[in-house]
Amino acid sequence: MRIAIYALLAGASALAVGWGTAISSQWWFAPKLTTEVDASDPDLIARGEYLARAGDCVACHTAPGGAPFAGGLGLQTPMGTIYATNITPDPETGIGSYDYGDFERAVRQGVRPDGAHLYPAMPYASYRVVSDEDMQALYAWFRSSVEPVRKENQPTTIPWPASLRWPLAWWNMLFSQPRDFTPPEGGDPVIARGAYLVEGLAHCGACHTPRGLAYEEKALSEDAGGSFLSGSVLEGWYAKNLRNEDTGLVTWSEEELATFLKTARNDRTAAFGSMSDVVEHSLQYLTDDDLTAIARYLKSLKPRAGREQWVPQEDVTTAALRAGDFSAPGALTYVEHCTACHRLDGMGAPEVYPALKGNSMVFADDPSSLIQVTMAGGRMPDTPAHPMAFTMPGFAHLTNADLAELMTFIRNSWGNHASSVAEADIARMRHEIANKPTHYAPEAGQ
Amino acid sequence: MKKTLLLAGAAIVAIGAGAAWIATRPAMDAPAPTGIAILDADKIEVGRYVLPPDKDILSQPNADEILYGKRLLADTKRLLPDHVGAQMNCNSCHMLDGKIDAANGYINTANFYPRVMPRAAREVDLTGRINGCFQRSMNGTPLPKDGAEMKAMIAYMEWLRQGVDKEDRVDVVNAGVIDESLIPDPVNGQAVYAAKCAACHGANGDGTFDQFGDVIFPPLWGEGSFNIGAGMARTYKAAQFVKWAMPPAMHLTGQLGQGGVLSDQEAVDVSEYFTHMPRPDFAPKVNDWPNGNKPKDARY
Repeated sequence: MRIAIYALLAGASALAVGWGTAISSQWWFAPKLTTEVDASDPDLIARGEYLARAGDCVACHTAPGGAPFAGGLGLQTPMGTIYATNITPDPETGIGSYDYGDFERAVRQGVRPDGAHLYPAMPYASYRVVSDEDMQALYAWFRSSVEPVRKENQPTTIPWPASLRWPLAWWNMLFSQPRDFTPPEGGDPVIARGAYLVEGLAHCGACHTPRGLAYEEKALSEDAGGSFLSGSVLEGWYAKNLRNEDTGLVTWSEEELATFLKTARNDRTAAFGSMSDVVEHSLQYLTDDDLTAIARYLKSLKPRAGREQWVPQEDVTTAALRAGDFSAPGALTYVEHCTACHRLDGMGAPEVYPALKGNSMVFADDPSSLIQVTMAGGRMPDTPAHPMAFTMPGFAHLTNADLAELMTFIRNSWGNHASSVAEADIARMRHEIANKPTHYAPEAGQ
Repeated sequence: MKKTLLLAGAAIVAIGAGAAWIATRPAMDAPAPTGIAILDADKIEVGRYVLPPDKDILSQPNADEILYGKRLLADTKRLLPDHVGAQMNCNSCHMLDGKIDAANGYINTANFYPRVMPRAAREVDLTGRINGCFQRSMNGTPLPKDGAEMKAMIAYMEWLRQGVDKEDRVDVVNAGVIDESLIPDPVNGQAVYAAKCAACHGANGDGTFDQFGDVIFPPLWGEGSFNIGAGMARTYKAAQFVKWAMPPAMHLTGQLGQGGVLSDQEAVDVSEYFTHMPRPDFAPKVNDWPNGNKPKDARY
């Protein structure tokens, strides 16, 4: 009995200390900034607008069809849906009452003015490296130029106790330590600019870096193990490996990469899924210098051991299909449903239909994106670089057996080589597609 | 200690239950196709037509012939260069091997001929119809009526019919409806062409070609295009195709995600524009519509 009381007391005090530590931790590292920002400075505002584009704030903080930055997009996590919040300058439902110190603390440290912690669906762990100057420009733009919208935030569907916010202080101490941007070795200012954008505002790692057990990104900048930007699965999409290695970007030139970031396509591939949105809302607005910097930085990410090159096998598929030899498993299904656009030679039509031959999305380590785009379809974004944007229709009406055989064929034809796709992978993706989060938060009071 | 064991046990049970749920949830697969209505002469539904997958060809006694026919329809210019003058394939207009509604499909073709056709004003059989295409749309020369190539194409169309009775029709159309009372505006048509067509067919209408020089997107005018005797050279016929089958890759659904992008007026305008650009002549045009009743968009 006495032991039980002691245990209870010990547990309660441990919890109290843990809680106290957590809620006080936000004051340990730095006091709230008191910098005065002139939110009417036109140069500052213009730069802030550019940086907000680079940060792609609008993508998450806007519901489909909703007012810009008024929140409502649902982000699927393994535990439930988190809704992005209203970040318009409305004083009651948005961030209109934030001074610069509040804004900085929310964006870079993940803490609200009331002391509550943001869920790390907000990539503040990445935004940690954003410079003071850039933060001030962002604040000036949000305060002066975003239309205030009165709209209450939508509560998360994550169940209690996982929805508790205070334990996130511990998460932050483990995974989101205060840090400054450190340029990569070598001293190249272009690569440093690319790294600053990729690690920081562009928060590429939020999708492209694998996550650990606590849902943390395994690395927030280049790491010895090479897990930074090495590819990750989110909402059934495989955000591809961006390292300069075999199934990553070693087969892409810097120019192809920069063109892709600007226009969502190049001669061999096209964006679809979430990347299409990223180009549409963010990357197409960046300067050519910044896109080149991003491309050069990504190309500087060292390959992991034994993964330096990607060597295609001999293309025996093109000649066989052109000669009417459809005997390879999946070949006839390919010829029936895919050749009209992707062609017998797997080369598609440059900048219209993506190639499948030598396309690193096709032979990616994880076939999730290939499977999902084949089943659900995908669209390129509109950009001024091209008069037309194209859409791939979905082929979910084909059977699991046909789709598995077809995708195994595509991943292993025209010199491509990759793991095969199983019927179970297709069945799993049907569940994934059927259970997509609803991205729309109803207006307050409805 | 006991509590720890209990907790650990509960955790294992919970993880096991989660894994079991994922493992035992009903596997999802594509729903069985519902097919398209088969209508008799009185438009009464007498059955359902299910589009056959090409894999079914392999179990046919004449599988090689059907597959050869399929290849000829898709790669006509490459495989029959002596008979095809234009940079076109049958699939250029009869999209996706004739399997698409409103894109000049072949599903009913084998059952439709022979028939008295207004342009010829006499009965035309299927070989005659196919050779009409070769001489007009393909700007080429006819195939021997009993040659292997002609037989293979017809074998493919016969297979695609899937045993539907001669007098019945699968409920698909060759072309969608367009408002033929609209007055074409070729100046706007040129603008529509630049915005919606040039990305594939080229700014000068001369098409796009692959690494082998084979056509990807066919030329819409000039020496490599269909001649003036082709149905596609007529404004409203072309507009039907443009409206309902062009461009492909526009939607997340549909076999090619095709069509439905332009308004009727835009389709008529752009069709007036590209059909009236320079293209090869068709000398035997003098024999067309011998009994009059020429359609208003006939080119001669």
